[in-house]
Amino acid sequence: MSQRYDLIVVGGGPGGYIAAIRAAQLGFETALVEREQLGGVCLNWGCIPTKALLKGAEIAHTLTAMGNFGFSADNIQFDLSKLVAHSRNVAGRLTSGIDFLMKKNGISVISGTAVVSDKCQLTVTNDGNNKSIYQADHIILATGARARALPGIEFDGEYIWGAREAMTPVELPGRLLVIGSGAIGVEFSSLYSDLGSDVMVVEILDRILPAEDAEISAAAQQAFLKRGITIHTSTGVESLQIDNGEVAVTLKDRQGQLIPCVFDRVIVAAGIAGNIENLGLEELGVNTERGFIVTDDYCRTNLVGLYAIGDVAGPPCLAHKASHEGVLCVEKIAGLETHPLKPEQVPGCTYSRPQIASVGLTESQAKDRGHALRVGRFHYGANGKALAIGDSDGFVKTVFDADSGELLGAHMIGPDVTEQIQGYGIGRTLETTETELMASVFPHPTLSEAMHEAVLDAYGRALHQ
Amino acid sequence: MSENIKAISMPKWGIEMTEGDVSEWHFAVGDQVNAGDDLVDIETSKIVNTLVAHSSGTLRRILAQPGETHKVGALLGVLVEGEATDVEIAEFIASASVSDAVVDIADEPASPGPNPAPAAPGPVVQETAAPAPAISTLAQGDDDSAVHASPVARKLAKKYGVNLHNVTPTGRHGRVGKRDLEDAIEKAGGHVERHSGAAVRGDRKRPDDSGIAATPVARRVAKKLGVNLHDCRASGRHGRVNKEDVEAAHALLSAAGKLPDQSALASAETVLSGLPRVEEFALTGMRKTIADRLQSSKQTAPHFRVKIDVELDNLLRVRSQINAANTDAKVSVNDFLIKACAMALVKEPGVNIQFDGDSIKQFADADISVAVAIDNGLITPIVKNANRLGLLEISNNMRDMVTRAKLGKLRPEEFQGGTFSISNLGMFGVSQFDAIINPPQGAILAVGAGEKRPVVKQDELCIMDVVTLTLSCDHRLIDGALAAKFLQRLKGYIQQPATMLS
Repeated sequence: MSQRYDLIVVGGGPGGYIAAIRAAQLGFETALVEREQLGGVCLNWGCIPTKALLKGAEIAHTLTAMGNFGFSADNIQFDLSKLVAHSRNVAGRLTSGIDFLMKKNGISVISGTAVVSDKCQLTVTNDGNNKSIYQADHIILATGARARALPGIEFDGEYIWGAREAMTPVELPGRLLVIGSGAIGVEFSSLYSDLGSDVMVVEILDRILPAEDAEISAAAQQAFLKRGITIHTSTGVESLQIDNGEVAVTLKDRQGQLIPCVFDRVIVAAGIAGNIENLGLEELGVNTERGFIVTDDYCRTNLVGLYAIGDVAGPPCLAHKASHEGVLCVEKIAGLETHPLKPEQVPGCTYSRPQIASVGLTESQAKDRGHALRVGRFHYGANGKALAIGDSDGFVKTVFDADSGELLGAHMIGPDVTEQIQGYGIGRTLETTETELMASVFPHPTLSEAMHEAVLDAYGRALHQ
Repeated sequence: MSENIKAISMPKWGIEMTEGDVSEWHFAVGDQVNAGDDLVDIETSKIVNTLVAHSSGTLRRILAQPGETHKVGALLGVLVEGEATDVEIAEFIASASVSDAVVDIADEPASPGPNPAPAAPGPVVQETAAPAPAISTLAQGDDDSAVHASPVARKLAKKYGVNLHNVTPTGRHGRVGKRDLEDAIEKAGGHVERHSGAAVRGDRKRPDDSGIAATPVARRVAKKLGVNLHDCRASGRHGRVNKEDVEAAHALLSAAGKLPDQSALASAETVLSGLPRVEEFALTGMRKTIADRLQSSKQTAPHFRVKIDVELDNLLRVRSQINAANTDAKVSVNDFLIKACAMALVKEPGVNIQFDGDSIKQFADADISVAVAIDNGLITPIVKNANRLGLLEISNNMRDMVTRAKLGKLRPEEFQGGTFSISNLGMFGVSQFDAIINPPQGAILAVGAGEKRPVVKQDELCIMDVVTLTLSCDHRLIDGALAAKFLQRLKGYIQQPATMLS
């Protein structure tokens, strides 16, 4: 016997549970299949718990600077287990919140592992190894992604950590190697460095945060070096051996020079791979490419009635992109007017110290697309609020099309930039020109004044530099 | 009678519609209504539809309250362009009410009486979601989503059906601005509502202010205060009316006594609310439609039924071949039946008909209505020109329409009309059943479950997949021999699916 739904979502992360809620709102009889906890990696092992840990790192940093504000303290104690407990607690609360949302919206939550066993059909295997068959005209895969393992470096949960182990340390590693310097690698580097570990970052490309604007990468590298983080770019891991409770690593740079070093723990954050295995995709001829499911503008796969959203449908692998696609996909199925998501409208945020945030094109991407540019920069060193809070490293960069005045991209590094980037995001969605941005009043004293100044600077009109 | 008093009447959506339920008004008495605004939701047959205002003015009277049922053509409310006294409006309503009345009070025919008042000023309101008249010379061109244009210009272009490639940009940074668009439309012979930018104080003769550029806040405040945006200065950036302009205009006009008297409006409303409210339990619009249509069908159309058993083995084989060869398709047996019926209807056009009681319309193409069960009722999305469509198109079309039918999101044209119906209860394991003809059509096919049955072939007993098809026909239009011939053709297409290719 099989059960029927109008729409079934596979995966309860920020793509899947949002898609399910939107479907239920529109009147679909909706089910959601999850093999672990609702909330997915984002809530349980990603975005949210790392932010909880990074708050601890921020406090650690604040304590080092308290003398500037007249405070002194002796015998400051730090209990790592309490910080980890706080992080897990937050994840737990959010997960139960999603459970509530599922109930409120009348969504059936099916525990188990789903396989697309035929067109418009799922076979779900539960913990007791019982199989159930479900039919739905519309099946949305939101199975997410996982950290990609590097050849010859297996995650062992003890010495070689993925994000999950890196989020639940029992003790601080004295010497830590982070392989990969995307957002995840950089956040862990920043976290462990602030908590007191000796951190080295190795990146195979020629700069850290390779997806960001080159000037932002350079500024981030400088800030990290200043903090005492060691960085090797254009460098790969030649060999890695666990020996006597230590990890012996040999790095190899572009010139072929070998760098031997020893660490207590290694975090691998060298990109992610879509969870496309064991879903029945190959058997049904679903197109995949580079480890992700191929979809069209409205998240449709080549298989009838099958859709894919979020990480499993390819980069940018970000929770907010997954949620947006979830809504878009469901609304398209329901026949509502929708617009495809443009990748350049998806902001990216890295919650390291300093924070990094961006939306739209980098300067070099804009140049490659043939735009004549006007570029503005403004440094937080000339921003009153940044000086007042003692956090004035970093800058804001704007990239405008010289002909149309369109804001092509915005790039920020510095205090609380992740909370501010959306100002530029709204501007881009509304297709504002520099005129509207210049004419908007930015409150004083705020960090956001630097956003205003960076716009003015692109047209040679910055007031404070 | 004043030319500027306009009737808001119950529209006629589709030939079957004789009455509608007023569901919800989008405006209150005294509100300024602009042409194109959604005016009132009306539950018609199977969905709730929205009446759109075709002219602008002040909504002065609401005569039909939510929950009431009114005949097509009945007066639902009164819209006044400019000024009209309460006496003039009362006269207008009195003359209109001779022919139109709440059906629960009087069962007057909906045809225009001696005083066809609502028709006199022309139908101000009619069902439409269509954009403003397109200027054909400007409509052509490739996808214009890449053209650099201001958000306002893009919105207007959509409204007027203009392709932005055809507009000369003169705005900042070479963007197409609102003015460019207006210029292009007027140059091509079209008409647009323009805002001069200058103050036009006290001009109540130009009530449609939807074309006036204004900030969202200003628009909302103006609506609340009953101020026409034409009466406001436009001191904002890009010549937009802003909130201060509206407030200033309101102060000026109030001082001059040129705004509608709020207390007079309120008392008028009290008088009108004296209309009887229907309190009794009512069928939903959909239930009522099903009840009315099928009762009338069963009573007026002399049904006769013809039954045939059809072997499915070949069709099932072809179906699995097609489904195995196409990842983008999941063709069902029902999809095959839709195609087969369409092919048979083209060969026997005498079955492919609509009947209005007087004359028969015979169609060259088959629009197949497919009954779909939804919460508390059923709806019949139509596969149009099914004889011209491939199986994959039919299948994917049906999946989309079934999904949206369940969500109540079908458009009227997707379920109104049709030249033939199919009702399939096979998924419930029903062997066979009779269906009632879906008027104005002449026949309906009832499909039971495909099941293994003993069949005698060349004096041998064998097991075949068999389905029983029952055709109900209106004997006024279709005779027994024609029905049998149609079923024979249908059987041929189903048992030899390859012949559908011919």
